[in-house]
Amino acid sequence: MPKKWTKILGVVLVGLLVMVSLTACGGGGGAGDGKPDTIVVGGKTYSEQFLMAEILSLLIEENLGVKTDTKVNLGTSVLFEAMAADEVDVCIEYTGTGLMAILGKDLVTDPDEVYNIVAKEYEEQYGIKWLKPWGFNNTYAMVMRRDVAEEMNLSSISELAKVADQLVLGSSHEFAERADGAPGLQEHYGFRFKEVVNMDPALMYQAVAQGEVDVISGFATEGRIPAFDLVVLEDDQQFFPPYHAAPIVRKEILEAYPELEDVLNQLADFFTDESMAALNAEIDVNGREPDEVAREFLTENGFI
Amino acid sequence: MDIFSYLLNNPDRVLDLAIEHMKLTGIAVSLAIVIGVPIGIFITRYKKLAAPMLGLASIVQTIPSLALFGLLIPFLGIGAKPAIVVLFLYALLPIIKNTYTGIVGVSPATIDAGRGMGMTDMQILRMVELPLALSVIMAGVRVSAVINIGVTTIAAYIGAGGLGQLIFTGIQLHRNHMILAGAIPAALLALLVDFLLGRIELWLTPKGLHK
Repeated sequence: MPKKWTKILGVVLVGLLVMVSLTACGGGGGAGDGKPDTIVVGGKTYSEQFLMAEILSLLIEENLGVKTDTKVNLGTSVLFEAMAADEVDVCIEYTGTGLMAILGKDLVTDPDEVYNIVAKEYEEQYGIKWLKPWGFNNTYAMVMRRDVAEEMNLSSISELAKVADQLVLGSSHEFAERADGAPGLQEHYGFRFKEVVNMDPALMYQAVAQGEVDVISGFATEGRIPAFDLVVLEDDQQFFPPYHAAPIVRKEILEAYPELEDVLNQLADFFTDESMAALNAEIDVNGREPDEVAREFLTENGFI
Repeated sequence: MDIFSYLLNNPDRVLDLAIEHMKLTGIAVSLAIVIGVPIGIFITRYKKLAAPMLGLASIVQTIPSLALFGLLIPFLGIGAKPAIVVLFLYALLPIIKNTYTGIVGVSPATIDAGRGMGMTDMQILRMVELPLALSVIMAGVRVSAVINIGVTTIAAYIGAGGLGQLIFTGIQLHRNHMILAGAIPAALLALLVDFLLGRIELWLTPKGLHK
């Protein structure tokens, strides 16, 4: 090859080496060298998760004196992959999500059984430990406007099934694809929606309140349900698994900071669906910042 | 709610995220220049490789960035590293293509004149082809950089930070002022970078070629 090309190739190789070193050097920083000095807290893409991430962060910083780095706006599978890759150390996950969306198992309706299955599998397969549930069940819910539901005489999903072919569902991207989401729901109850529209969870409540869609795949602890005068239809044929929220932590982090387990377990069974919905409403309806709501909640209840 | 209120109330946060954003895009585009320009030159010499190389870069460009970010997580994890890899790949096409087009567009008569003066191939590259192709190459770099600043906002979805963090959180919480606090600085950064690259182009152009 002509000599000039060896020079140019040299430049290209230097560039590639820089890239490789950039991608390689990050790996050593987190796990390998003794106690990590920063704990990475993960969160999904909606307000409750932003709040949970702030709560976890404050609990760790104030009770353990360890720095935290919050990474939110991660989808369920992105967040899980990140934990499996040791990039995120702790987050709040829901038992039903772990069971059906992550582990891919079939529906189980008993809350304790679901918890035991995910606790065992996560520990054995991924080295991640489920701590004690915090007391609220943020299940998927079929949410409609109260006046529309009353007019159509709908109070349960079985009743919804009969008229669903005239209705449009506003669904989150996850719900549209997950086995514990729209596909499974329609199969279980034996119906098809007239149309499924994918939308961002943030926009769903407004969309159904303004009549742009007829029903949405909402979350049970969403503050906007009471605020926008929406109702939750009863899952009378028990399609959705329980989605009890609990912190999940990587074992290496628990080994480095054993006190972390007790710190986070302080909130075991502390919440109810209503109290969580009220906190979410502070953020979504009253427009307050998640970190402010988190700090106020923890201080008022003596956790920090 | 005042649309600028987030920006005015949290200037440090916005500044930190803007710096983080520029680091991501800066490293990615710089690497794309360092690797892309030589590749562009290379395929002008070995023209048979031109079509496959440009084709490859084009294919990468058409993959939705969010998909590419997600696909690389099991291999590269989340955060800045995989973000920079993906942003680098997205920055390549305009740079390679414009380097190739710019050099191929230099009049053969001019190159002949250079040979006639006894220039070596390297001298022709350095003193004839590159200066004449510069405006086309820089156009590619500028387009690449400006688009890259936009694509970098999506890196927030894999925890890489940057102004996208404000945009997505703002969307989730229905806070328009937060969305704007992310989007406006990003747009301003794109304008600033384009302006600076224009200055650099002027500085690199030999005096004889100044219009």
